[in-house]
Amino acid sequence: MLAFSSCVKIYSPKIEGADLNKYVVSGQITLGEDTQTVNVSLTSSINKPTYIPLLGCTVHILDNKDNTFPLVDMGNGDYSTMIDPKYMVPGKAFKVVVIVPDGDSIVSDYDTLSVVPPVDSIYYLRKDIVSPVPYQSKVGIQFYLDFKGANSDSRYYKWNVYETWEYHAEYPLEYYYDGTVHHIFPPDYSKFTCWDTRKIPEVFTLSTENLSQNVYNNIPLQYVDNKTPKLANGYSMLVEQLALSKEAYDYWDQLRINSTQQGGLYEKQPIVIKGNLRDITHPDKEVLGFFGAASASFKRIFISQVPGLTLNYVIPCTTIVLKRGYIMIPPSAYPAALMASQNGPLPIWLSQICVNCLLQGGTNVKPSFWPN
Amino acid sequence: MKKAFLFITLLLISVWMFAQSAEKLMNCHFNNVSFEKFCNEVFQETGVRVFYQEKWVKNLKINLNANNITAKKAVSIAIENTGLKVSEWNNNLVILPDTRLITSLPPYHPETANEGSIPENTQKMTATEERYLIGRKPDVIHTIKVGYEGGPLTNGKASILGRVMDEETGEPVNFATCYVEETKTGSISGKNGFFTLVLKPGNYTVTINYMGYQARKYMLDILSGGKFIVTLRKTVYQIQEFVVHGDRQMNVTQKDPGIDKISMRSIKQLPMMMGERDILKVSGTLPGIVSTGEGSSGLNVRGGGSDQNAFYINKVPIFNTSHLFGFFPAFNSDIIKDFSVYKGYIPAMYGGRLSSVFNIMTRQGNMKRFTAHGGVSPVAANLEIEGPIKKDVLSFIFSGRSTYSDWILRRVKDPTISSSSANFYDYTGELSYNAQKTQMSLFFYHSYDHFRLSTLDDYNYSNNGASLDISHNLTNSLRADFSLIASQYGFTTIDQEQLPSAYKQAYKMGHYEVRADFTKTISNYNTLNFGGDAVLRQLDRGNVIPYGTESLLIPVALGKEQGFSGSLYLSDTYNPSPVLSITAGLRYTLYSPLGPSTVYNYVPGMPVDSRYVSDSVTYGNNVPIHWYSEPDVRAAVKYQTDENGSVKLAFNQMHQNLFMLNNTIAISPNVQWKLADSHITPSKSNQISLGVYRTLPKSGMEASVEIYYKEESGYPEFKDGASFLDSPHVETEVLQGKEKGYGVEFLLKRSNKRLAGWLSYTYSRSFMMVNGGQTWNSINNGETYPSNYDIPNVVNLVMDYHLSRRVTFSTIMTYQTGKPITYPVSVYYIDGTPYLDYSKRNAYRIPDYFRTDVSMSIEGNLKRHKLVHSSFVLSVYNLTGRKNPYSVYFNTSDGGITGYSYSVIGVPIFTVTWNFKLGNYASE
Repeated sequence: MLAFSSCVKIYSPKIEGADLNKYVVSGQITLGEDTQTVNVSLTSSINKPTYIPLLGCTVHILDNKDNTFPLVDMGNGDYSTMIDPKYMVPGKAFKVVVIVPDGDSIVSDYDTLSVVPPVDSIYYLRKDIVSPVPYQSKVGIQFYLDFKGANSDSRYYKWNVYETWEYHAEYPLEYYYDGTVHHIFPPDYSKFTCWDTRKIPEVFTLSTENLSQNVYNNIPLQYVDNKTPKLANGYSMLVEQLALSKEAYDYWDQLRINSTQQGGLYEKQPIVIKGNLRDITHPDKEVLGFFGAASASFKRIFISQVPGLTLNYVIPCTTIVLKRGYIMIPPSAYPAALMASQNGPLPIWLSQICVNCLLQGGTNVKPSFWPN
Repeated sequence: MKKAFLFITLLLISVWMFAQSAEKLMNCHFNNVSFEKFCNEVFQETGVRVFYQEKWVKNLKINLNANNITAKKAVSIAIENTGLKVSEWNNNLVILPDTRLITSLPPYHPETANEGSIPENTQKMTATEERYLIGRKPDVIHTIKVGYEGGPLTNGKASILGRVMDEETGEPVNFATCYVEETKTGSISGKNGFFTLVLKPGNYTVTINYMGYQARKYMLDILSGGKFIVTLRKTVYQIQEFVVHGDRQMNVTQKDPGIDKISMRSIKQLPMMMGERDILKVSGTLPGIVSTGEGSSGLNVRGGGSDQNAFYINKVPIFNTSHLFGFFPAFNSDIIKDFSVYKGYIPAMYGGRLSSVFNIMTRQGNMKRFTAHGGVSPVAANLEIEGPIKKDVLSFIFSGRSTYSDWILRRVKDPTISSSSANFYDYTGELSYNAQKTQMSLFFYHSYDHFRLSTLDDYNYSNNGASLDISHNLTNSLRADFSLIASQYGFTTIDQEQLPSAYKQAYKMGHYEVRADFTKTISNYNTLNFGGDAVLRQLDRGNVIPYGTESLLIPVALGKEQGFSGSLYLSDTYNPSPVLSITAGLRYTLYSPLGPSTVYNYVPGMPVDSRYVSDSVTYGNNVPIHWYSEPDVRAAVKYQTDENGSVKLAFNQMHQNLFMLNNTIAISPNVQWKLADSHITPSKSNQISLGVYRTLPKSGMEASVEIYYKEESGYPEFKDGASFLDSPHVETEVLQGKEKGYGVEFLLKRSNKRLAGWLSYTYSRSFMMVNGGQTWNSINNGETYPSNYDIPNVVNLVMDYHLSRRVTFSTIMTYQTGKPITYPVSVYYIDGTPYLDYSKRNAYRIPDYFRTDVSMSIEGNLKRHKLVHSSFVLSVYNLTGRKNPYSVYFNTSDGGITGYSYSVIGVPIFTVTWNFKLGNYASE
C-alpha cells in the first residue's frame, strides 16, 4: 500500500550555506600502492558545490617508530610521497601532520595497518529492476563480490571499484571540409576507439565483527544498466580491497550511511561523522576527513559481452543535412567532418563528437591491461 | 374507580425509569412495621416500586419473615385479607382494591399495515418555533423519593448513591454529570455509572446530563440516605458532540485543564484513511496533540515523544496501538464507549508516562436484548455481537475485526510488493455482571499483525490483554474498585535482506498489575480518591539468532530484565465555595529493576562503552538492583468567573520507567521497550498549565485557551547510528537529556447545530539538550536544539454539515509547520566524490504539511420496522492529492548531490465503507 500511494520526487530545499570553510584532510598510507597521497581541501557551500584545494601546506606522515616522511605538494590539493614498503608492516601505526598556510596545525590520530587477504571472487548476475514508475525500471547486471579472510586478517574492509570500458565514435574520419573537401585514406580510426575509466563513487564497506567466520558472500557492488555503452565493447573492473582499522571502518561506514539516505518512514537523523583529525592550534575548529593506514589487494575482471542483454543506448552524434551545399558550414566550424559513402562525401555535416571519441571524456590510448 | 386510575397514572409516570424485575428475590424480616416502610424496604432491596393509595393501608402493620421470595409474593402476603389485590405493571407493583390491572391491550389490527416512519426531526424546528413550543409546554418534572422517615443520616446529612443507566441497553453511563441547582454543586458518575450526593433532607432539583444523551431533570425528595437509579435516553439524532472540553455542565466538577473527550458516535462520519475509523488520529486534531504522520501510530502530546503517552483499554496498557505500520488503529472503534485524553492535569491514579494518558473504555454488552453491528471497508471488516445472558444482570459483548488487504498488494506492479502480504486481526470480549452493590467485568483483548515483505523481511507482533474488575459500593459514599490486569506485547522479526547476516529475533514483554482504587465522598464539597497499585514488568529482549543456512551471524543474547513498581496515591477535591474547586494529590512510587542481571560498571570519565568496563556485579533472581523513589505532586485549582466561564490552573508531575528504543521518528513495527535500570535513570517531568474556558450561549460556541510550560529531565536520546540488536547493554547507546516545552492552545467549538465542529490552533515549541560535558556524551555539541516533535504552528478544522437527517458532509483540514530536519550545509570532496557536512541538529524544517479530507455519509431509510439498518460512508483522504513531504533526504552515492522528498500518501484515496446494525435508524 505504501508503494501504491507514496511518492518520491526530486526536491531542492533552500539552504543557507555555511559561511565558514572547514578544513578537509583525507588520505591514507596504503600497503600495496606505490604512491601515498594526502589531500587537503576546504568545504564549499551546498549551493555551489565545488572542490576547493588548499595549496601550500606542509604535510608529513609519521609512524609510531619515530620515522617521518615529508610529502611533496603535487598541486590541486594533493601531497604525495613514496614510502619504502619495509616501513609498512602490519601492526605499525601512522599519523599525518598538516600545517596549513594560515599556520594552523592539523594532526590525526594514529591508525594501525592490518593484514589483507586476496580478493576472493567478483562476478555479475543479470538483474532487472521493476518499478511502478516507468523510468525507474531498469535492465542490466549487478556486480557482486565474495569475501574470504583468515581469522588473523582484519575484520573491517572497504572496497574501491574502478570501471574501464571501451567505446566507439559513430564514424571514423574520412572526409572533412575547411573550404575544400579533404579525403583521408585509409579512414582515420585514431579517434574512433576510446577507453574511459571511472571510480565508482559509492562507498562499499563490510564488517565481519559479528559473524562467526571472516567470510561474506554476495556483497553487492555497482549496477550497470543497458542504457549506457559501457557493456557494448568490453568492460573491465578493478576491485581494490582495503583492510582497515575499526576506527577507519566506522568512519567510512557512517559516510556510506549518510550518502545513501533512503528517506522513507523509518528515517534517522544524519550521523555527525567524527573523523580522526584535530586542529591543535584552534581546538574548537572542526576538521573533516580521516587519515588511515590500510593494506590493499587487487583483482581485475574483464567482460566482453553479457549474453542475453539487449543494449539500448544512444550515441551522442548529430548530423545536419546540407541542402544548400558545403557553403552552409560556417568557417568557425572548420574542419567539419562529412559523412562518407562508397561514392565519396555526402552533403551531411557530422558534429565533432561523431568522429572524435575523445570528446566523450576518455582516452584513445589503450590501457595496458586491456585484452587484444 | 376512574379517579384511582388517574392517580395511579400520575404516579406511574416515573415508573419506566426503573429497570428492576418484580421477579427479583429478597429476604424479608419485618416486625410490626408500617406498610409505607415495608414498601420502602422492598424498593431498597429489589428496586421494585409499589403504588397504592395511603388511605387503603392506613392501619396496616406488616409482620413477615421469609427468605428468597419475590417482591410480588412479599406484597401479596402483606396485603392478605385486606381486600386489596396486587398486579405487576412494567416491573413494578400496583395495588388496587379488589381489581387486578389489565396489563396488556387487546390485539389491535390496523387497517393500513404500512410501515410507519420515525417521526420527523425536531431539529428542523426553527429556534423561534422551539422557543414557542417549549415556552408553552408544561415543564414536567418527576419526583424521586430517596430514603424513608427516620432513615440513616450522618451529621444531619444523607449520603445518596445514584446510578445512571442507559435506558435502551441497560449499560451504565459513565461521566454523566448530576447537578443540584439548589446547592450549585454536583457530581460525576464514575465507572459503572455510580455517583454520590451528600445533602440535607429536603427537596432538590437535579439535572442529569451526558453528551449524546437527552438531559433529564428530577425532583429529589430526600428523607434519608438511600439509593436511586435514573436512566438517560440517547439523543435520537446523531448530534455531533465531538468534544466536551470546557463544557459548562462538565465544568461543574471537572477541574482538569487539558482533558479531552471524543464521542464515538460523532467520528463515524469523519473521513478516514481507507475507511477505518481511528480515534487516535482524530485525537490528533485536538489542540496540543500532533500525529507523527501517515504510517505512524505515534502521537506527540505537547512536544513529547511518542513513548510518553500511556494507552489503556479497560485498564489494560497497550504497547503497540496500531495495525499495519500505523495506518489503522489497533482498537475497533465500534466498541469504544468513552475516550478521554489527559494532558494537563493527570489524576493521581495514573502515573508512569511523562506526557499524557489516553484512556479507552469499551461498551458493555446490551443488558436488554441481542443486537449486532458491523462494517465493511476496502481493507477490513468488523462485527460486534452483544446481548444479555441473564437479562439486566449478566451480558456479553464480542467484537472481531480482520483484514483482507492482500488484494491491494497484488495489484502493485513492483514484484517485491506484489509478493508480499499483510494481515491483521483483533478481537475483544467482555462479560459484565451487574448486581445492586457489586459490578464485575471480565475483559480480554487480542491483536495480531503479520507482515511479510517478499522474501526479505517478516514481522509479526501481537498484543494480549485481560482485566478482571470488581467494583463494590461499601457504603453509599465509599466505592471501591479492585482490578487484576495482565498485558503482553511481543514481536518476531526475520530479516533476510543480507543473507550472510540474516537474523531472527523474538521479543516479549509482560505487564502484570494489581490495583485498588477508592472514592470516598465526604460531603458535596469534598471527595477523596485513594488507592494503590503494584506492577511487575518482565521483558525478554530475546536472542538475535542467525536465520537461514547462509547466515554466519554470531548469536547475541539481548537478555531479560524485570522491574517492580509499587504506588500509593491520595487525592482530595475540595470546593470551598460553589465557584472554587481545589484538587491536590500525591502519588508516590517506588521502582526498582530486579535481577537476575549482570550490571557492568564503566570507568568514570570515559565513554560508556564495552571498551571501558571496569567490573561487573551479578544480581540474583528477583533481587532489587536499584530503588528509585518517585514522588509525583498533582494539583489543580478551578475558579468559575461567571456562569459562562472558568479559569483553571494545574501543576502536574510525572515519572517514567519504561522507554521505547527507537531512533527513528516513526514507530517501527518491531520496536523494543526497555526498563529504566541502574545506568538509565527514570525520567521526570514538571508541567504547569493555565486554561480559560468560556461558553458563548448566543452562538452555541465554546472557546478555550490554555497555556503550558513543561520541563523533562532524563529523557533518553540515542547515539548516532545506535543499534539495539548488537548488545544487551543498552546504556552504551543511550544519552539522557533535558526537554523543555511551552505552548498556547486555542479551541473554538460549535455543537448541536446543523453546521458543527471545531477549529483548533496551537503554537508550541519543544527543545532538547543533551550535554554530558564531553563530546561523547553530548548531542549537537551540548547545545539546545529543537526536538523532533517541535512543530510550532498547527491548525485543525473539523466540520460536519447535516444536510438532512440521512445525509451528512464532513471534512477535516490540517495544517502543520514542517518537521525539523538536519540539512547538509556544505560539501567536501574525497577522491572526487562529494560528501555532505550537516548543519546543527534540526536547524531546518521540511515544507509545511496541509491536507484536506472529505466524506459524505448516507444513512439508510428511516422505516421503523426493519431488520437491518445500514449506512454508507464515502470518503476521500487527501482530497487535493498534495504530496506532503514526510522526509527530505540527500543522496550522493551516484557522484552528484540530489535532494529528494518522500511523501507517504501523495494521492487522493477514495473509500466506500458500509456499516450495518440490527434494528432501525435510531436503534443502538
